[in-house]
Amino acid sequence: MAGLKEDPFLETNDIIETREGAEIKDAVIDKLGEEGSQGDREMAPPAGNSIHRSGSRPQLDLSKAAIQGNSEDRDPTILLPNQSDDISHLALDIGGSLIKLVYFSRHEDRPINDRRKKTVKERLGVSNGNRRSYPILGGRLHFVKFETRKINECLDFISSKQLHLGGIDSHGWLSETPANCNAVIKATGGGAYKFAELFKERLGVSLDKEDEMDCLVAGANFLLKAIRHEAFTHMEGHKEFVQIDQNDLFPYLLVNIGSGVSMIKVDSDGKFERVSGTNVGGGTYWGLGRLLTKCKSFDELLELSQRGDNRTIDMLVGDIYGGMDYSKIGLSASTIASSFGKAISEKKELEDYRPEDISLSLLRMISYNIGQISYLNALRFGLKRIFFGGFFIRGHAYTMDTISFAVHFWSKGEAQAMFLRHEGFLGALGAFMSYEKHGLDDLMVHQLVERFPMGAPYTGGKIHGPPLGDLNEKISWMEKFVLKGTEITAPVPMAPSGTTGLGGFEVPSSKGGTLRSDASALNVGVLHLVPTLEVFPLLADPKMYEPNTIDLSDHNELEYWFTVLSEHLPDLVDKAVASEGGTDDAKRRGDAFARAFSAHLARLMEEPAAYGKLGLANLLELREECLREFHFVDAYRSIKQRENEASLAVLPDLLMELDSMTEETRLLTLVEGVLAANIFDWGSRACVDLYHKGTIIEIYRMSRNKMQRPWRVDDFDVFKERMLGNPCPHKRALLFVDNSGADIVLGMLPLARELLRRGTEVVLVANSLPALNDVTAMELPDIVAEAAKHCDILRRAAEAGGLLVDAMINTLDGSKENSSSVPLMVVENGCGSPCIDLRQVSSELAAAAKDADLIILEGMGRALHTNFNARFKCDALKLAMVKNQRLAEKLIKGKIYDCVCRYEPAS
Amino acid sequence: MDLRHNEIEGNSEPTQSLGQTSHLALDIGGSLIKVVYFSISRDNCIDREQESSANDTLGFSNGNCKHPILQGRLHFAKFETSKINDCLEFISSKKLHLGGFQHHENPGKNKNFIKATGGGAYKFTELFKENLGIDLDKEDEMDCLVAGANFLLKAVHHEAYTYIDGQKEFVQIDQNDLYPYLLVNIGSGVSMIKVDGDGKFERVSGTNVGGGTFWGLGRLLTKCKSFDELLELSHQGNNRVIDMLVGDIYGGMDYSKIGLLSTTIASSFGKAVSDNKELEDYKPEDVARSLLRMISNNIGQISYLNALRFGLKRIFFGGFFIRGQPYTMDTISVAVHFWSKGEAKAMFLQHEGFLGALGAYVSYAKHSIDDLVCNQSMQLPVSASYTADPNYNPLNGDFNDNESIQCSVYAA
Repeated sequence: MAGLKEDPFLETNDIIETREGAEIKDAVIDKLGEEGSQGDREMAPPAGNSIHRSGSRPQLDLSKAAIQGNSEDRDPTILLPNQSDDISHLALDIGGSLIKLVYFSRHEDRPINDRRKKTVKERLGVSNGNRRSYPILGGRLHFVKFETRKINECLDFISSKQLHLGGIDSHGWLSETPANCNAVIKATGGGAYKFAELFKERLGVSLDKEDEMDCLVAGANFLLKAIRHEAFTHMEGHKEFVQIDQNDLFPYLLVNIGSGVSMIKVDSDGKFERVSGTNVGGGTYWGLGRLLTKCKSFDELLELSQRGDNRTIDMLVGDIYGGMDYSKIGLSASTIASSFGKAISEKKELEDYRPEDISLSLLRMISYNIGQISYLNALRFGLKRIFFGGFFIRGHAYTMDTISFAVHFWSKGEAQAMFLRHEGFLGALGAFMSYEKHGLDDLMVHQLVERFPMGAPYTGGKIHGPPLGDLNEKISWMEKFVLKGTEITAPVPMAPSGTTGLGGFEVPSSKGGTLRSDASALNVGVLHLVPTLEVFPLLADPKMYEPNTIDLSDHNELEYWFTVLSEHLPDLVDKAVASEGGTDDAKRRGDAFARAFSAHLARLMEEPAAYGKLGLANLLELREECLREFHFVDAYRSIKQRENEASLAVLPDLLMELDSMTEETRLLTLVEGVLAANIFDWGSRACVDLYHKGTIIEIYRMSRNKMQRPWRVDDFDVFKERMLGNPCPHKRALLFVDNSGADIVLGMLPLARELLRRGTEVVLVANSLPALNDVTAMELPDIVAEAAKHCDILRRAAEAGGLLVDAMINTLDGSKENSSSVPLMVVENGCGSPCIDLRQVSSELAAAAKDADLIILEGMGRALHTNFNARFKCDALKLAMVKNQRLAEKLIKGKIYDCVCRYEPAS
Repeated sequence: MDLRHNEIEGNSEPTQSLGQTSHLALDIGGSLIKVVYFSISRDNCIDREQESSANDTLGFSNGNCKHPILQGRLHFAKFETSKINDCLEFISSKKLHLGGFQHHENPGKNKNFIKATGGGAYKFTELFKENLGIDLDKEDEMDCLVAGANFLLKAVHHEAYTYIDGQKEFVQIDQNDLYPYLLVNIGSGVSMIKVDGDGKFERVSGTNVGGGTFWGLGRLLTKCKSFDELLELSHQGNNRVIDMLVGDIYGGMDYSKIGLLSTTIASSFGKAVSDNKELEDYKPEDVARSLLRMISNNIGQISYLNALRFGLKRIFFGGFFIRGQPYTMDTISVAVHFWSKGEAKAMFLQHEGFLGALGAYVSYAKHSIDDLVCNQSMQLPVSASYTADPNYNPLNGDFNDNESIQCSVYAA
């Protein structure tokens, strides 16, 4: 608020970083200027850009083009960093100490050339629904902070990104608004008045002032409804995310702790009342703290409190009662009876007290008081939930603990204090929401994906990160960053205090005796708005659905996966670099990727909840995202290709073998085959070792021969009964496929073929973007086409499914007369991770699911790490080989290479 | 004096005689020791008729009280806990620990003990033993507070009053409509007690921001040497110098949308953030005033919220923090008024600092006299004449004999 003019970012170790950051930023602004001059250039696909830069990229194969096409034409769930911000929109919250920016960038859709997708859309009836009055645009919501005293940097940033022109951009958004030269930006906070002239002068824009309270509430409502892991509790240092049911959000109490404290009862969107408040707030802490400790900044004061012992200055119940609890009224000896009460009876002067102790005592006094008054107000209005926000909190663990304790104490455990990950951005977000026709009101939680790129765009603060979109800068920044310390530390929020940051870094903290003040800080990523994502319609209970099987809040579990991923990293980097031709540029990017990902891991080890609730799926996806961030579009490309070819070569023999079997034997052999072929997995350390010992086919045969039933989880007989005992075949089966090579070709395709033969439509569900050696929806048509050369069943089904329309295939007999086959289709799943979160799948998958009555989930990522416990409305078969000893023990009390064949009839 | 220790313990036969009436009780808090003692008047005994007529005149139905009466004065004194030796000397010099009466019946039989409450009753047990040779008989603090308040509210005519805009107005409390009420005792910390009847109460809330905070923070910020000096300073200060007001944020305009005047404090000490001033650059007066307002306001708010929560009409504020300090009372009243939108009023007690000590004093009777008799016998002073000691000087660190109530004690 207005009162906090003192810059909270003054710390001694700032200076160097700030300077370097400034250099980087300047360089980038130049760069942006150049780009800007290119005007409306039809942007080359981002991956192409990086490839161009690398120079020595080998002549590229078809799959590459396909992948680019894919990443262009799909909605930008995962946007590659080099694209321009075609359409942007900006809102500001100009406070006394910080300027918060929220801006939206949109990548313009390009014409869809992908026939597969078009066919799929026609066949499945996918519509991009005009259900909403203002369609939600795919794009990204960015969160950026600047120090208010460095407002010029903020102006430069806006100017360089042309954010202020977004409002009159004629492309799509707001196109109904007549273009005029009076660009208007929504702004809130005291500075919206103060700096109005400056914005006019520098950018030629007017600031349209929005009421602060309106913005706060609108921002909070949006976050609580749209972001799954926004609210969390914080008790005794333990953070836990709380899933808020959108339909059961209101009413709640919003406590905004700025200089003073406002307590707002929120009854619905736009309906709220300031019911209370207190004048003892952040300004009191900082004001009194300054007078008592001579601290120069709020954050310094907060930092001091980390090392304090308030017992030297507070009068505790024990001090009064001679160390005994006054248990009769439920007060323990350590309860503070009187804040600063000890300062009265001792013959000490101010100088005799440690500033650390004073700061802690003050912090406890104020936090405790706010917690208490908040609880009393919640009680008064019968509000179940209390959310705390505002700059006073700053993700500071002790502050949150104290407030939580107060609420817990006074409510006798019945009420809980909750905090918001984006707490610093409520106002700016609210101002953003105040634009008409932003379409965000209708946004559903499943349409948002939060990403944590290394170089999220921000300036100001302790460290300047490279603005988005410049890979080279990002890499060199990573290199510089690492040179600063002997070890990689995690990306922590940009502000030294641990204000909600932007996925940037803090200087490596000296591992001294001090607690990190940001020990509890949470990162704020970039929000990707993906209107086409939907909840998988066949989930039996979407509200109860939790994708992750393994809970990484268990520290041992996290440590294990941390080790696994760290050990696997060098191999991955080698592959990634090789996939880009092994050039110097690729090596540089590879190093940067390794550093960045290691930093993410380190950050998460330190603060598992830093990016929201952490599951294994998130961790694995983070790795893929990180690869893409450094422009490794497909690290396993050549491996996948090689394995596909090798597998396709032996497919005809396998099919002949299968066809010679009885129906019953064949079904068993097919399932055995899926399990056996699932051994080919570059995500598994054990399997990578295996690869060095034989050829694909040798391993496959050996593996299949070992498939002795009963498997560790063996529902095969029930499945067989359904398949062979029921005269009515399934109408449509969704096959969630896993790896390339033998897995898809020798495992899943033959199973698909069997289903097709029995009259069941088959939809192969594959990744939208590459992840490890997982097969992608882009690669599948080629594989199917190749397989179809040797198999009539597949060929007819693929034709019926529109997969072979423009594939150059030499049909074996040229007889196309029999086109009555059920179709074989391919859809993308909407993600680029080895796991799948069925709360957020592509609209085409959702459409394909409508008529499906059988789901087959294959592989560890999709059937074990995630969805092992998922229940579906239709029959579901989960097939996987457990290629990890620990998981085998934990999940099925078995051992490595045990198999899971879990069949669950429709619930 | 002889309280027949053994019998008291058993709480059985009331065998009190006039001369055995105990007369000293202590409340040893974290910052202050409060002393209540009874001194007997020259003419010890008043005959029953006299008393009865007094009762009749005042409308008390004390008809069947057939007991002798002891008349005298209840004295109130305070000492800083840090200067406990002064207190010990005071007791010793007045021989209060010996019962004050010269006619001990069984001087050697029982060890002397004094009723005491407050945390210090535990902490300083040994000290009293060593210095005065007496045991402290600990009474529960909360019991004492409530008993003291109930006693005062029922027995003393002009005990409760409101304080608004400098106007002190006594409130006549109907004895039959006293309960339930909220008792807010502001000592070093603050206890909030819901009182439902005699001996029937519950500590429902409290806050650690209390008198100790005011004094402790105040000492650190102003170098004042005593609580009263700090209070005195606050009289002369202007909190606007250091508090951030709503007007400071909204450019002098009221933020009327949410019902805040421009003079409302938005953030206590909030201006200290933006000014480039050090502690030395602020006048201690302003700092003291700001601190006082912060704490009073906060206590008023939390008290009101608790009263609201339990549907309590009356809030009585007591404890040494208030000390009849007009400005303190004013801010608490304003806070209650503000948050209740005028529906609730803060009330104060004449003897605000002595609730605990008085309660401890009353507890002698509780233990020694049959309850029923006790209730009646303790309805005093019938002709309560409150006399404040004209020599009371708030700036005086030692509080001696500063107040007394003329009263009569009935014994069963």
